[in-house]
Amino acid sequence: MSDKPEFDQLIERHGEEIFAYLWRLLRFTADAEDCFQETFFKGFKAFPRLQPPANYRAWLYRIATNTANSFLARQARLAKVTADLNLEILSDGPATAEIVDQRIALARVYAAVEKLPPKQRAALILRKYQGLSYNEIGESLATSTDSARAHVYQALKKLRAELAPHQNDTEG
Amino acid sequence: MKNTDFDPNLAAWLGDSDALPVPDSLPQSLDQAYAASPPAEEASQAIRRLRQSLEEQLVEKIYFDTLEGTSLGTVFVAVGPRGLTALSFGVTEEDFLAQVEKRTGVRPVRAAEPTQEIEAQVSAYLAGERTRFNFPVDLESLTKFQRQVLEAAAEIPRGQVMTYSELARRIGRPLAYRAVGQALGRNPVPLVIPCHRVIAADGSLTGYSGGGGIKTKARLLALEGVHLL
Repeated sequence: MSDKPEFDQLIERHGEEIFAYLWRLLRFTADAEDCFQETFFKGFKAFPRLQPPANYRAWLYRIATNTANSFLARQARLAKVTADLNLEILSDGPATAEIVDQRIALARVYAAVEKLPPKQRAALILRKYQGLSYNEIGESLATSTDSARAHVYQALKKLRAELAPHQNDTEG
Repeated sequence: MKNTDFDPNLAAWLGDSDALPVPDSLPQSLDQAYAASPPAEEASQAIRRLRQSLEEQLVEKIYFDTLEGTSLGTVFVAVGPRGLTALSFGVTEEDFLAQVEKRTGVRPVRAAEPTQEIEAQVSAYLAGERTRFNFPVDLESLTKFQRQVLEAAAEIPRGQVMTYSELARRIGRPLAYRAVGQALGRNPVPLVIPCHRVIAADGSLTGYSGGGGIKTKARLLALEGVHLL
């Protein structure tokens, strides 16, 4: 019943990277922290039922991904994100035309990534920015290693099309 | 999608091939948007707040459930984060909940799952199919003396009895047998900590903290093969 010390170790070992992951997926600190807490609460409840030797890292990423995805779905975030980005672009202090262009470009990237199907988005971030192997990504997304790789590749293909230079159409 | 259809430069950027990636607008934009890590301070504060809320959650939750139709009637079982918190029989649900709340400051909520294992062991014990318990017991809300007494009582093997003064000697307080009796009387987990195995020097059963008083004490001892009457 007393799994607290072992679970503390998991927080010690993976807390920072899971936080970074949610921070990247959600981009707003408060949302990231809410999902971070929810992730570890869920983890703590499920922890006694976990059969060792489990891959705790992938297991935590899996909970984090599900938590973030349902959060994003709940928020119907796309509209909100676009609005927030417009606000950021305007409110981030005085800017030269060049800086404004950069901000707009960045806003397009965020919007495009957030438009990806949840698994593709997660797989891309996990691979490139969290440094997981495809095997671990498969475990984190409850899918095979091959599908994990396919999710990453599909995500990049879509982003390539969506973010192609000189494309003016922002699709709503 | 076949891997061979995939842009080799993007594969290189992902670290999927040994090739060196060449500058490309998509990886550059993605890196700009996502390569940064959260400020270390934000992460460490989030972790600190997480630990705090976990602590609070742990203190907060005590679950209880009832085991119906045993030889002792309805048995109430409450379990907290550190193990079995209370066990009672011969009382009403309201009395049981009030007792636990008074002792721990937390009102138990009904839930079947957390108490399942303990209930299974208690039923097996009462059915004579099990001779000892194997789960943690949480005595944290008791005084040090009460804990010492109960921990010593927990060591009395099934089928044996001990007097109050023997138990007092056992914990190094030979004169404190009355206080020992009181501590046993407040045993929050009768049956599991076998205070029924502690009897008066003349062999009489005196009091019993569990429901049903001395009759129950005799019945439990009989179940364990001890016949004093």
